[in-house]
Amino acid sequence: MLKKRARLWLAICVMASLAALGACGGKGGDDTAGDGGGDKGTSGTKYAPTGNEGSIAGKINLTGDAPAPQPIDMAQDANCKTNNPNPVTETVVAKDGKLANVFVYIKEGTTADGKKIADFSFDTPSSEVVLDQKGCHYIPHVLGMQPNQKLKVTNSDPTGHNIHALPKSGGGNEEWNESQPNGAGPITKTFKRSEILVPIKCNQHPWMKAYIGVVKHPFYAVTKEDGSYEIKGVPAGTYTVIAWHEKGSEKTAQVTVPAKGAATSDFTFDAAAMAFGPQSDSLQVMPAIEFPMLGRH
Amino acid sequence: MSKGLHRFTVFVTGATLFLIVAGALVTSHDAGLAVPDWPLSFGKVMPEMVGNVFWEHGHRMVATSVGILVIILNLWLWRREKRVWVRRLGLVALAGVCAQGLLGGLTVYLWTPVAVSTAHATLAQLFFCTMVSLSVFTAPGWSEPRAALAEKGSPPLRYLCLAAAAAILVQLILGGVLRHSAEWDEYLPAGLVMTHVTGAVVVALLLVSSIFITHRRHAGETYLTRPAQIAGALLALQLCLGVAAYVTRLWSPSAPQPRNPMVGITVAHVACGALVFASTIVLALRAFRVLRDEVAESVPDYVSLGAAPNWRTEN
Repeated sequence: MLKKRARLWLAICVMASLAALGACGGKGGDDTAGDGGGDKGTSGTKYAPTGNEGSIAGKINLTGDAPAPQPIDMAQDANCKTNNPNPVTETVVAKDGKLANVFVYIKEGTTADGKKIADFSFDTPSSEVVLDQKGCHYIPHVLGMQPNQKLKVTNSDPTGHNIHALPKSGGGNEEWNESQPNGAGPITKTFKRSEILVPIKCNQHPWMKAYIGVVKHPFYAVTKEDGSYEIKGVPAGTYTVIAWHEKGSEKTAQVTVPAKGAATSDFTFDAAAMAFGPQSDSLQVMPAIEFPMLGRH
Repeated sequence: MSKGLHRFTVFVTGATLFLIVAGALVTSHDAGLAVPDWPLSFGKVMPEMVGNVFWEHGHRMVATSVGILVIILNLWLWRREKRVWVRRLGLVALAGVCAQGLLGGLTVYLWTPVAVSTAHATLAQLFFCTMVSLSVFTAPGWSEPRAALAEKGSPPLRYLCLAAAAAILVQLILGGVLRHSAEWDEYLPAGLVMTHVTGAVVVALLLVSSIFITHRRHAGETYLTRPAQIAGALLALQLCLGVAAYVTRLWSPSAPQPRNPMVGITVAHVACGALVFASTIVLALRAFRVLRDEVAESVPDYVSLGAAPNWRTEN
């Protein structure tokens, strides 16, 4: 067996190796819901319209040169090109300085008669929200719904897909992962709690992504191609409105909605900040250096 | 000693390295959950190999093939191999590949949690280590009479080599944790990156020390210097691949899909890590084979008589 000195050397060497574990960090950017998760939307005074509701409308502007859509190589599944002959990314969809696929919602606020919007409960809509898979893309790319509202996932492609919802750990929504072959019936799911936003991905086609904003109330919208949005039926009051984009940016505004009136709130995003997306606690080494050959698939 | 058995063992070891590459491709393409069921794929033995199903099911096919090869190897060992401890090591390899299969199924059922995925990656390296050891032990040169060599200094080289191998194993585990800690389009956590870099420094120090001392104390012994040189060359390549893997990964968050340069370099980094591990194991085993603290004038070469190195004598 090992002699005493040899055992000492071996222990020192192994401990030196294990000492590297001392700086072990956790998974970057992974949020845990310390507040116990999102709102189910069913607690509190039931909200009833008073007839004095107004609306919030506006446009999302994009300053600077928007990152150009990147071509997607779908060679690994030729069936994808049947419905999408020239596939490009939809991470940043911008036209004439306006930004699409921005999720705008009321985060908090107080109605004109002094009640907090968070204290209300809202009926779960009976209508379904549809997420389709066509051309090996999720359509729409960003959508909103309320807790316990039905999400109907359909497959319009001549190939199979895999729908993987990745809600935040500890947020109250369960992760799910389902396969949906070509011709299969729709998959119906719900999210129990509000969450901004639940990423959806396909494990068979890694470029496929969608985002679902689950909000306890119906006061949300997704900007169109012209960057415009409108949130209707908002009770008169003062609110914090958030505009969220998947490249990590979030803009905030305080908006006062008059009774039976329309409030306007525009937001502006910076294209340069979107170039590298959300930054975790990562190291970056010379990000400005171009490596053209690395950009080719 | 059967040359055919040794060659087949080396072939299975090579197949195991190919399996590690196949597994790394699954991770780099984010294909771990492309097939939602196990052990069948979409309820079939052979599904349509499109999209990421190609990588995931391909990995399963290679794994099944390696499992069959290990079974054949064990049958051959039990028929031809006289050393009981070698036959038992073959059973360890068989248990390892079976456990790997079950862990692989667990990653699918549990949706690839970091701990299970890392355990799957770690066991893969340990299984590879077992196969490399079997290749060494079944080599004709292992059982040939060989003069014992004195250690000639402190620290004892054979324990330094063992420490280097242990450090590499820890580094492989850290690499597995790092790989599975973020999606392909996310930045790697800085803390884990620094931990892995620190591990690389520790590995480099221990392995370079081992290589240096091997050449200094036993310059004429190619039985030791050759695996040391190979380990050194692979270490240099591995460090370069590590830097390249990190740099290419920086562009992933802005890419629409896993890019070939990032995938290729990262998979090469995984494979080279396995080869560094293998070469260090060969060096360590050979060091234990020939090195002694003190060498008497006539020392029976128990290993050539069929014994395991420095262990109890068995028939």
